[in-house]
Order: sequence, then C-alpha cells, then structure tokens
Amino acid sequence: MIIDFHAHLDDRWFDQPLMSREQFIAAMDRCGVDAACVFTLMGFFEDSRRHNDLLAGRAAALPERLIPFITVDPKLGEASIDELRRCIALGVFRGIKLHPWLQAFAPSMLKKTIVRIAEIAAEKDLPILFHDGTPPYATTFQIGAVARWVPAAKIVLGHAGLADYTLAAAQLARDIPNLYACVCGPRPADIAHIVATAGAEKVLFGSDLGLSDWMILADRLDAVRYAGISDEQTRMVLGGNARRLLRLL
Amino acid sequence: MNSSDERIIDAHVAVGREHHLSLDENELLKRLDEGGIDLAIARPMGAELAVLNRRGNDRVLSLGPRVRGLVSANPWFGDEASDELKRCRDRGAVALYLHPTRQGFMPTDPIAQPLVVFATEQNWPVVIHTGTYIQSDVLALAELARRFPQTTFVADTAGFTDMWFELPGVLEEVPNVMLCASLVWGRAILNTVNAGRADRILFGSGEPRDRIGAALARIDRLELSPEHRRMVLWDNARRVFKLQ
Repeated sequence: MIIDFHAHLDDRWFDQPLMSREQFIAAMDRCGVDAACVFTLMGFFEDSRRHNDLLAGRAAALPERLIPFITVDPKLGEASIDELRRCIALGVFRGIKLHPWLQAFAPSMLKKTIVRIAEIAAEKDLPILFHDGTPPYATTFQIGAVARWVPAAKIVLGHAGLADYTLAAAQLARDIPNLYACVCGPRPADIAHIVATAGAEKVLFGSDLGLSDWMILADRLDAVRYAGISDEQTRMVLGGNARRLLRLL
Repeated sequence: MNSSDERIIDAHVAVGREHHLSLDENELLKRLDEGGIDLAIARPMGAELAVLNRRGNDRVLSLGPRVRGLVSANPWFGDEASDELKRCRDRGAVALYLHPTRQGFMPTDPIAQPLVVFATEQNWPVVIHTGTYIQSDVLALAELARRFPQTTFVADTAGFTDMWFELPGVLEEVPNVMLCASLVWGRAILNTVNAGRADRILFGSGEPRDRIGAALARIDRLELSPEHRRMVLWDNARRVFKLQ
C-alpha cells in the first residue's frame, strides 16, 4: 500500500488553475498510489476556515483515498485554536498542516499558540506536518524545535530538509523521538542517508502532488525506489509508517 | 556507451566524497554504462571543491576521454585560484564550476570576477550552483550573466528547489543563461520547452545525489518531440561545452 503523506488538493495557486479532484485521483491511479494526505494551498494565504471547509468537501467523496489535513493561521492566536477545535469536531480531518514560510510566521514568534496547537494535536493523536527546508521561517531546525517543545506531539518535517537541510533532517529525526521525516524533495542518496540515520520507521513518502502534476508523483516514487533501501524499508517508507501515524487499519 | 542511436551527454555528475555522497571513477563509469550515457561533465565535490581544488581538479581531469572536466577554484585563493585554472586549461578542462555556498561568496562579489574573466577569455561556460538561499541565488547568477553577456552561464540544479520560480523570468530576460535540469522536477523542464526554450536546457543526472535512471525517466515522461529531446540530451551540451 502506498500513501502519499504530502499532497495539495486545491483549485488554484493564485491565478493558476490546478488539477481537479478527478485528475488528482487519476494521477494517483497512474502511479499506483492508494491514498494521499491532502492539504490546502490558498488556505495558507486566505481565510483558513473557508478553505478547511472547501478541502473537506473535496475529500468527502473518496474518504478512503483522500485524507484531509486542517490548516489554521497561528497569527490569529485564540481564533486559530477555535478553528482547530471546530475542524476536529467535524471528524473528517486526520492531521494538521502548517506552512510557516507561506503563512509568514516563525514558530518561535508564536510559541504560545504553536505549543497549544501541538498539545491539542497530541491529545487527539493527530500528526502535524510542517513545511521545512526554507529559511527564514521554516528551517528544518525551527521545526525540530517545535517537536522538542511538545514531546507528546507527532511532528513531521514536510520535506525532510528539502534540498539543503537533508543532513540536518536525518540527524534531528534520529535525535528527537517525536520527529518524522517526509521525503518530499530529497533525492535517492539523501533518502538512503535519512533512512540509515534516522531509521526507516521515522520516514514517510510524500510528493507535493497537486502543486505539480502526475510527473512529480512518479519522480518522487522513483527517488524512493532508486534509494537502494531494502524491500522492508521501502514498504515502511511508502505506506507502513503513514498507516501507523494516521491510525489506519 | 548508449546502445541505441540516441546519444546522451550528462552535463552534471560529481566525483569524490561529500558528506553522505560518494562516487569514484570506476563506479561513475559503471553507472554511465548502465544509463547509456555517452559523455559526462564531471565536477569535484566536498573538500576538493571547497579547499583542495588541485586535488579535485586532477580527479575530474583524469577520468578519461568519456568524462570531461568541469573544474573549480575557490575565489578566496586569489591569484592561486587563477593559476589553478590556467593549469586546468592546459590539461583539457572544458568549463568553470563555482559553488557559491560551498566556497563562501556571492556570485556578484568582486573576488569572483577574475575567475569569470578567465573563463570568458577561454570561451568557457561558467556553471554555478543555484538554489541554496543567500549565496546561490538564481538572480545573483543572472546579475553576473548581465555583466558578461558574451559568456554562457549555466544555472546548475535549476534553482532546486524553490528558487526554481525565479528561473523562467531569468531565461526570458537574460539570453546567456541556461539551466541544467539535474534534480529539478519534470514540469519545470517541460514548461521551459513549451516556452520555446528547449535550446536553453542541459540534461544532467546529478549523480551521485540523484541517479541517472531516475533523471532519464524524468525526461522520458515529458514525451518531448525527437528534435527537442535531442537538443536537451545532446545538442545543447555539445554546443555549450564545445565538445567534438
């Protein structure tokens, strides 16, 4: 079973139309992907409540395959906590996605709110996937710090260091028990290193499907397959670990 | 060698050691064989890129006729860096490689200028790592390219990852900039082709960080016309690196 832990299901990126739900599913089918964790894109810039509802609506038709994640704007303080609780009460979301770069905050600027969000996530056993790998708000170290603030929360490096923080991602995922690495961006040798350093049980597959088309999904699957890791490690990275974090039976 | 009629130049491989990455001569040649690559352009990495330039350059210049040397010198070595490039020229180097992040400078810094002037005098292209924030800014490369309009500059790794977004505008505005497609995703390459700029793209595998098989699969998925495919895989690199 393959689960894409990092995808976006939205209708546009600013003025650029994105793939429809049908095209998104067709891309998954073409690449043999069973399920995808789906996030907003424009909800990082606009009213997150509205975009949470839109995302829930898009995912509702195929709940076995489209697993929606909540986003909130931590800059709003208590209002973001209210929105988080509202979404959790809907019972359809399986995780939280925060994008400090695009949402324009460093976790340390909003530490009180970020800790509250992470504590609630821990209480509800929802993983939080953060964009990482991009200074000045979303370095891999900044996301690692969040995991240290709330050890009970499951924090995921959304890009496992992306291009320039892959060594740091491997070390932090090794050293911080509640920090996981989603290899959405790293190339085969990076993935092999992250698996060897942090342990295959800490590594998740992700593609950014939705931000780009089916080719990015195929390419990022290739990155795992060319990493030279064992069949068992590959099984864990491509789906087994995601099933565990998402509590899928 | 490639067994089909198609010929392929891999415009970006790195040899030596750097953190978790490692590639020696024998393994490189084995991977070129397996991938059907006819020619490769190789640069040093790790300490041999940052400080031990002579050792790294000798490594890439001694790989044989199938692998051409993309040599480097850290600009902070001043006159010694220029002397090292002269030595490499005499040993058959085909281009200058700079990695502003590893070597610690901004492409527009005055200390880099003598090396770019030397490359220009040799009619060499200048390949510059792009994508890492601050020093490896795509737009800094573009500024340098504007100052040396007669020289071809190659944006290595095409700004991978998120500095890719600057490249379409740079390709439109600065005619002497090309991109090396190693690491970057397929849609970025296809959009560049569809914008009428197939002549500005070099195929590169990014070995050993990426794999030749994965990089070629990215190109295959684009379903390029035979003409565009030949440009990306062979013609452009042959022209830029002046390969016979």
